[in-house]
Amino acid sequence: MSESSPGGIGGAAADLEDLFENAPCGYLIADPSGRILRANGALATWLERKPEDLVGRRFSDLLNIAGKIYYETHFAPLLKMQGFFNEVALDLARPGQAPLPVLVNAVERRAAEDGQPFIRITLFNASDRRRYERELLEARRAAEDAAAQLQALNQTLEARVAEEVAERMQAEEAVRQLQKLEAVGQLTGGVAHDFNNLLTVILGGLETISRQLDADPGPEKLQRIARAVAMATHGAQRAATLTARLLAFARRQPLDPKPVDAGRLITGLADLLERTLGETVTLETVSGAGLWMTSVDPAELENALVNLAVNARDAMPGGGRLTLETSNAYLDEAYVDDIPEPVPAGQYVQITVSDTGTGMDAETAQRVFEPFFTTKAVGKGTGLGLSQVYGFVRQSGGHVRLYSEPGVGTSVKLYLPRMTGPVGETVQVKPEAPVHGGSETILVVEDHEDLRTYAAGVLRELGYRVLEAGDGRGALAVLQSQNDIDLLFTDVVMPAGLDGRQLADEALRRRPGIKVLYTTGYTRNAIVHNGRLDPGVQLIGKPFTFQELARKVRAVLDA
Amino acid sequence: MTVIDQHNVHISGAGPRPMMLAHGFGCDQNMWRFVAPAFEEDFRVIQFDLIGAGGSDLSAYDPEKYSRLEGYAEDVVELAEALGVRDGVFVGHSVSAMIGLLAIRKAPHLFSDLVMVGPSPRYIDDEAAGYVGGFSAAQIEELLDFLDQNHMGWSQAMAPTIMDNADRPELAEELTNSFCRTDPDIAKRFARATFTSDNRADLAGFETRTLILQCAEDVIAPQAVGQYLHRVLPNSELVLMEATGHCPNLSAPDETIRAIRAFV
Repeated sequence: MSESSPGGIGGAAADLEDLFENAPCGYLIADPSGRILRANGALATWLERKPEDLVGRRFSDLLNIAGKIYYETHFAPLLKMQGFFNEVALDLARPGQAPLPVLVNAVERRAAEDGQPFIRITLFNASDRRRYERELLEARRAAEDAAAQLQALNQTLEARVAEEVAERMQAEEAVRQLQKLEAVGQLTGGVAHDFNNLLTVILGGLETISRQLDADPGPEKLQRIARAVAMATHGAQRAATLTARLLAFARRQPLDPKPVDAGRLITGLADLLERTLGETVTLETVSGAGLWMTSVDPAELENALVNLAVNARDAMPGGGRLTLETSNAYLDEAYVDDIPEPVPAGQYVQITVSDTGTGMDAETAQRVFEPFFTTKAVGKGTGLGLSQVYGFVRQSGGHVRLYSEPGVGTSVKLYLPRMTGPVGETVQVKPEAPVHGGSETILVVEDHEDLRTYAAGVLRELGYRVLEAGDGRGALAVLQSQNDIDLLFTDVVMPAGLDGRQLADEALRRRPGIKVLYTTGYTRNAIVHNGRLDPGVQLIGKPFTFQELARKVRAVLDA
Repeated sequence: MTVIDQHNVHISGAGPRPMMLAHGFGCDQNMWRFVAPAFEEDFRVIQFDLIGAGGSDLSAYDPEKYSRLEGYAEDVVELAEALGVRDGVFVGHSVSAMIGLLAIRKAPHLFSDLVMVGPSPRYIDDEAAGYVGGFSAAQIEELLDFLDQNHMGWSQAMAPTIMDNADRPELAEELTNSFCRTDPDIAKRFARATFTSDNRADLAGFETRTLILQCAEDVIAPQAVGQYLHRVLPNSELVLMEATGHCPNLSAPDETIRAIRAFV
């Protein structure tokens, strides 16, 4: 090969020499023991030495201490055993500088002339690679740390969730206990209220009788005694009915299905429902003609209807109307296919309980049958009312559907399977007692008729002229037509949108100077706290006796 | 798994007397591949890997036990007993020279001759005692720090499964320097156990016939160390070899064989 051949612009030998000296990697030729015979310029430059200064030194002397040890104990043996080693990461020691990371390849060769073995060593500058490796290692370490932290966090989280759930369950249990107590309290309060009214009637009747018996009773007094006896008897009967309803309500036993005429059952239940609803909610019942019989446990059905009524009442804090409607219905295949629980298509007795209350949104409506779900404030509801309804209806082979519109009201439809069989029993509801007139000018406003009669009777017996009204509107009418009323004696809580306080305000506006005496048997609502009565306003609690009323009325009139 | 299996034992040779070849810090029993055949005629040659090295059972590696050379010495005793070795020759390279000495102290009946190739009872200088080990404390500290950095290029050179070349598995074996397989973590611990060892106290009263093979220019165990050993061990013979470096068994197998043969 001539020097002008295309193989070498500067001459082939010169090109190779240039390559050996100046290629961007270190070249070493060493004897088998690693003693350097020749080093290239690139390596010498890295080490800031002259190439000839490196000759005679051992390769391992160029390395940092770890490299030296590992070269002697691992890589030199490796080279001996397999004739080469590849890509060994070592560090070149540089006096006064950080070591230079290199990748080292070595291979055993034999000299062309004498066949003597020697070693070729190639070194690549691996600074970048080492940095990447370090970053990669750091990233891996960080990732492992993060994973470990995440795992620890997960474990902590699980433990915390379990703890929270346990706490939550404990709290719910406590709330449930409170709710039970609240329910018992509400029931007790309601019962006490009703019994107060009835006892007022009964005691009043008995008192009247005893007073008439002081002297020799003439025919007129005997007649009065007879009326008082009738009144007391009626009150006692009402009390007995109430007690029976309470016992039925309280019954907790397996379903005892009987043929039931839902319409009649509702009629019989109206008394209890009215009491449950309170005086601001009007009860309306509509019974469809030719209603089918159904076979359910009547006590549980009553229970369900009372529960629905309670919910309806609570949805109508400002008063409203509850409608109980019965009719015959047919659930077709399309309808039953569309509902989640298995309900056979066929004939059903439908009871619809509708209120004019606040209603609820779709999300709430979907959950109302869940046990313990309640929209009421803590302590106000058990969350079990509607779930009892659902459970009972499902157990009876029926179906419940709830419709609700926020701001309009809620309608719950119970579908009970039709049965064919003998007719059930009925419940008799007795008419209210009659009213009498008298001589002084007191307007008695009381929606409870017996009470009003009793109170009016007492006042008439005391010589007053008594006018009566069953509600606020009626009272206003009386006030309009009679301009000599001295005392307004009114119940506080009354139906039809006008309560005792509003009535009194209106009466005072129309007839300044008129005296006002309130009465109430309703303690649960804490009337005074609600601000319906000003401090100092005259109030007589139910039940009241003849004497108590006489004294109070006198005192108010004289004030 | 028996102690024999755990140590990847290979036995060759027809001779009556056992010769146990122990590799040192670095690689595995392959270190003896040029020397062992020379003794197969006269000896029952036993080659093995220290636990943690080469083909040994890595699961048997107990960091606590092998943090000291005694742990390896216990293995040698157990292994020799299991193989029925009596009055054998123990040839220990590098750190295994001291391991062999410790083993013989525990069970003198096993070996009547000890060959130490590049031995060192302590690698770190002890100026107070006027002892030259070849390394300063700072250098060994630097070594251990470097190993702790555990950078990949380093371990990649020796780790058992580096190149996961699914297409050409035979390539992976060849390229990963299969003669020198070492688990990086174990290699680190082995380096610490080796280079922080000090067995000078174990030399006193050691009566077994001992051959010390000292290479020229051995950075790991310099000539002063060989001379120290020869001085302290009363029944020892020191041979200064022409071979350079730390591994005459590889770089100068013939000279090594001659020296051992002359001794035994």
